[in-house]
Amino acid sequence: MKKSATLVCFLLFLLSFCSQPQRQPDEVRVRLFNDPVTLNPVNYQNSSALQLVNLLFQSLLTVDLEDNTLKPSLAEDLPVVERTDSTTLFTYSIREEAEWADGSPVTAADVAFTLKVMLAPLVNNEQIKSQIEFIRDIASDQRNPKRFTLLCKGFSPEMELLTGDYFILPQYLFDPENLLASFSVPELVNAAPELTNNKSLKAFATHFNSVDFARSKDLLKGSAGYVLENWTTGQYVVLKRKQNWWGTNTGRAASYLTANPRQINFQIIPDNTTALLALKNRQLDVLSNIPATEFDKLREDSTFTKEYALHAPDSYEYNYIALNTRLPKLNNRYTRQALAHLVDADNLIKVTLSNFGTRTAGPVPPAIQPYYNQSIRPYEYSQARAISLLKAAGWIREGDGWYKTIDGKKEKLTLEVNYRAGNTVFEHSALIFQQNAAKAGIVVELQAMENSLFRQKARTHDFEMVFRSLSGNPFIFNFKPFFHSAYSDEGGSNITGIGSPETDALLDAINVAETDREKARLLKRLQEILHEEAAMIPLYYLKERIAVHKRFANTKISGLKPNYDVSAFTLKN
Amino acid sequence: MAAFLFRRLFYGLVALWLISTLIFLLSRLLPGSFGAQILEAESFYSKGSQGSREAAYQAYLQRTGLDQPVFYFSISSSAEPAGIRHIFPESDRLLLRQLAWQYGNPELATAYFRALKQFDNPVEQPGQLQLKARIQKLHASIDPETISSTTDSIYQLLQGQQQGLVLRSAAEALIGDRQPYRALWPAFSWHGVHNQYHRWFSDVLQGDLGKSYRDSGAVQDLILQAVGTTWWILFFSMVLTGFLALELSILFVRQKGGKWRRLLLPLLFFLDRIPVFILALLLLILFASPAFLQLFPVYGMGAYYVGSQSWPERFASLFPYMVLPVICLVCVNLPYITNQFYRSLADVSQADFTRTAKAKGLSEGRVIRRHMLRNALFPIITLLSDFLPALVAGVVVIETVFAIPGIGRLLIESVLARDYPVLVGVVLVVALFRVISHFVSDLFYGLADPRIRLRS
Amino acid sequence: MHIFFSDIKHLWKNKLTFRAAVCYLLGFVLLALLLPWLPLPFGPNELHLNQVYQPPFESANSQLHLFGTDALGRDVFVNTLYGARTAFFISFPVAAITLVLGLTAGVAAGYFGNSGFRVSRASFLGVLASISFMVYLGLYIPLKAELLLPGHPLALVSLGALLLLLLLLWFVVVPLLQKFAAFRETMALPLDQLLLRLIETFTSIPRLIFILVLSSFLPPTVLLLTIILVLTYWTGTARLARAEMLKIKHLPYFESARSLGLTSWSLIFRHALPNMLGPLLVSFTFGLASLLAFESTLSFLGIGIPNEIASWGRMIAGIRHNTAAWWLLAFPGGFLLLTVFALQVCNYFILTLIQQKKL
Repeated sequence: MKKSATLVCFLLFLLSFCSQPQRQPDEVRVRLFNDPVTLNPVNYQNSSALQLVNLLFQSLLTVDLEDNTLKPSLAEDLPVVERTDSTTLFTYSIREEAEWADGSPVTAADVAFTLKVMLAPLVNNEQIKSQIEFIRDIASDQRNPKRFTLLCKGFSPEMELLTGDYFILPQYLFDPENLLASFSVPELVNAAPELTNNKSLKAFATHFNSVDFARSKDLLKGSAGYVLENWTTGQYVVLKRKQNWWGTNTGRAASYLTANPRQINFQIIPDNTTALLALKNRQLDVLSNIPATEFDKLREDSTFTKEYALHAPDSYEYNYIALNTRLPKLNNRYTRQALAHLVDADNLIKVTLSNFGTRTAGPVPPAIQPYYNQSIRPYEYSQARAISLLKAAGWIREGDGWYKTIDGKKEKLTLEVNYRAGNTVFEHSALIFQQNAAKAGIVVELQAMENSLFRQKARTHDFEMVFRSLSGNPFIFNFKPFFHSAYSDEGGSNITGIGSPETDALLDAINVAETDREKARLLKRLQEILHEEAAMIPLYYLKERIAVHKRFANTKISGLKPNYDVSAFTLKN
Repeated sequence: MAAFLFRRLFYGLVALWLISTLIFLLSRLLPGSFGAQILEAESFYSKGSQGSREAAYQAYLQRTGLDQPVFYFSISSSAEPAGIRHIFPESDRLLLRQLAWQYGNPELATAYFRALKQFDNPVEQPGQLQLKARIQKLHASIDPETISSTTDSIYQLLQGQQQGLVLRSAAEALIGDRQPYRALWPAFSWHGVHNQYHRWFSDVLQGDLGKSYRDSGAVQDLILQAVGTTWWILFFSMVLTGFLALELSILFVRQKGGKWRRLLLPLLFFLDRIPVFILALLLLILFASPAFLQLFPVYGMGAYYVGSQSWPERFASLFPYMVLPVICLVCVNLPYITNQFYRSLADVSQADFTRTAKAKGLSEGRVIRRHMLRNALFPIITLLSDFLPALVAGVVVIETVFAIPGIGRLLIESVLARDYPVLVGVVLVVALFRVISHFVSDLFYGLADPRIRLRS
Repeated sequence: MHIFFSDIKHLWKNKLTFRAAVCYLLGFVLLALLLPWLPLPFGPNELHLNQVYQPPFESANSQLHLFGTDALGRDVFVNTLYGARTAFFISFPVAAITLVLGLTAGVAAGYFGNSGFRVSRASFLGVLASISFMVYLGLYIPLKAELLLPGHPLALVSLGALLLLLLLLWFVVVPLLQKFAAFRETMALPLDQLLLRLIETFTSIPRLIFILVLSSFLPPTVLLLTIILVLTYWTGTARLARAEMLKIKHLPYFESARSLGLTSWSLIFRHALPNMLGPLLVSFTFGLASLLAFESTLSFLGIGIPNEIASWGRMIAGIRHNTAAWWLLAFPGGFLLLTVFALQVCNYFILTLIQQKKL
């Protein structure tokens, strides 16, 4: 009797904790998929960190998620570009109002300092170093400390973006002893070996590589509207709005520079199911990447949709199958086309994604209508077509499979399909492909691979067929790294290994196209060739699945990561 | 007694050293490495050329000392070419390795490989595309016929240029002088003290477990932090599991307990078989979702709180977060522990002194608690000393589902990110715990068992 | 042994639960063996893309999926049956190998202790040499060769060379060495310490790291899974066998048997092993049952496991993507429960039987 009484008391005690933690209405709670690990603006390592650093620091240019266009952020305007034969000059002016957390202005000197940090040897900057390899020097304007010119080698279309796509660091805070002041940018670009023994460089590297620059509240203060308030590893990161932030004084011209919520609370929840439950419990305000089937169910849940708005914007994440054309058995275009006919992408989208995908015929997103080639019909699922193409490629059906004599050796058509372990969508897609291929008499083996190994295999071109995705954007289309033969050497990013003089010339021409019409024409031609070659079998562009609490307006839902601009959220009245 | 304990301590330390060395070497066997993401180019526009990324990667390896050999010496096949570690990129390394193993002649393979590398930066000339295609073919093939026919055609194409000749003769030499089974022969090479293990081990001896590759934080701080978050969960679940297991096993050995045993033991067995993530999921759906009972928060260990909290306040705010993980952990561990307790108690119940005690007319509860428990306790102590490390290492799934950054998560994240110092550090700390607890249980044993106490 | 069987016959006649459990287990084994020849409407990996997440007992398109379907329209009923087959074919050999391995190590360590096992120096050297040969020629070279040159005969040649070397070593070199007095001298092998340290090492290295390292060398197959499971599960049995052996060693009957001058061999086999049967049986069923659902946890952690293999774990893990599909958990889980329960019942009766014998 006594025992059961204790038990009841205990249960009552437990129930007394029913209440959920109290919430402030103007605090936004966002789910992060993993711990940011380091918020160092130079060597951040994952997308969570990037999302956070974007709220602490600013770069010269930014993408406004409202309309997915490139706009000036710290810079007053887009850069003035002057092209000569071998160099390009980008001239920027930093906004008059822009200032650091201590009230001092952001100047060209800070930009120069940033470049030096990214280039200096011994500093933990290898992640980002190669991104600005084309910048050779910076010239500050003598009369205007906020105006400067970047001297760049050569020209490529992404240069404009890349010259403005790194976080500007506060010199006064990061290098109070002016250790880098004695170096010039060209000096660091040339990176003479004796630099590694330089005392002040060594001192700066030790200082900058320390854990303080990964997580210290006092050091990670940039020019953006938020400061780090608290970061409990693996649990939450809280950002607080700055008092009187300069960005709010820029007026209409830069209304996209925002810091509206008083506090943003990032909750780190690794497991998808848990995050979903937390959302249903109203413990979260924003959740992205909701599993497709669950998203469908949420849509039908009226009590949920009363409080939350659900969005499914077209993302720029391109999902495709890559075939290794270096292999003799996949060398023939007809073989690859036959495989493309066995993929059944429509059913993949329906079954594995509950239709949250947009079928595409090539790497240009269908949402970008001027550039997307509507005249290409994506490969349809057809056993008959596949078989006739296999025959056209010289394969002969014999008993248990397809055989062909290549380089004097009789080879059987078998395929090993790889995908990243834990990616259920690709796992299911691969299973569907396996069944379709089996119907056509092709033996397909599936092999899930742990992430590091998977990447290593792709990098060393040691694969037959892989399911992969690629994150793109709507403003730059430089496909050279993926299809140009110059990139198909060992370790190169052209993993399929295609590339002919025609495509090489086309890719070069796209990058220097003067007009939009010309560019569209060339891109459409490229899509045609890629479709014909079928080395990269396009599957779909993903649709993101996001839920945001309805008390917020101006959420700027977009297909670009992170798919919403949390700094823009305002409370509805 | 002292000598016995000293010997145990010595063995413990040796085991610790062995485990840490083994895990150090094992971790280096994992494919991929932390810095390799420098090489990734997953975007619609090029962020730096291949070459500059390679250079950055090599600078990274050099800066972190990862380019050094792993151990003092290595024993490998004599087909392995010398200096293969310095060959970049990885695909080149793979090619050279394959060539050397295929033909069993590392010297000639290296010579051929170098000749092939001469074509990396070709000058503009007619027929360059054909040349390039052939060079690429050579990069993808180790087959003798392909090599000889392709090098031959390159020679023809270059019309007697020096490069073509060198390549062809290197290929001929390689194919001609095959030693296919040389790979079976071992080769020993000594690397001296400039190796990764030496550096790491001397740091460990000075109490420094190194720095995480990911955020440069000291490994011991990371581990302390992770243990700190989960400390209460571990503590409560251990106390609760111990208590429940004890009570249940006492219930089972009682005369009237047979009914309970038949009912509960299979249930416990079943509990033990449910995959942990299903258990956690079920608990979440039942007790933390609006669909059923919304009693507890879904995830985390407390929310951010501004201002100061007194200790009990802090604890009270943390308590609801701990309930579900603790229940889950108890469910995971209870079956095994109960079973062991029960077995140990049942053994004692057959012993003579128990019968004597019963014959004296003592009540059953008194016999169990006073006499049997005391004797059954020794195996239980050993068991509990094993329990803690198992608990620490086995909670990965629970930590993932409930989003609690504990030591299990730290371990799996370090494995997936190839953050070697953290990986090795966590295993070392867990092993240390284990050695200490074994030592303590030996101490208890020694104090209690006259045979051991008197032997020395 | 003979009496034991007659007792079981007795149990069979009198205890209904025992009979039911044994029938279930026999049916289970029979099903596992005969499944491929049974007329089932679907294959275990057959996808029905227009019937995904179909709840049980509802028929659509005139095709009845008795237990419903999963995310790819695979039939849950057929998969449950095949899952039973997989469970049998993976967990039974693993449990058996684990038992043999753990038992040998544990009994040897417990019986001989730190000083009881003496070998001549020649044999000791032979053992050391064999181990290094096995690691180099039996593990390193074949793995490396398979990784670098798939299909090349090097791996086979290496294994052949290993065999040759071992034969040479044990039939020529060691006997030759025995001729010298210095090598004939015996030395004690501290088996107990060796085993304890080995167990400590194995249990300190997280299973996860083992799996990752191993799977980086070999593609995830049933064989690999078996190796991993054996490597990580044998310690428990070994520890148990050692403890039991130590206990038996000090029992009066065993000591008197030893004083009769019986050989170690017959002491262990005739007098120790039969008495360890009970606890070992418990550990065997424990291990068997815990293996049944292990691989679903692995897939939760994102570690590659061959997904063509129909298993209960695969289906149960599917519930993570659609928490409303209760049938993915209920049916395989139910069978898991039943199997574990039946094992447990048999276990219980046999244990009580043994205990009665002892008294």
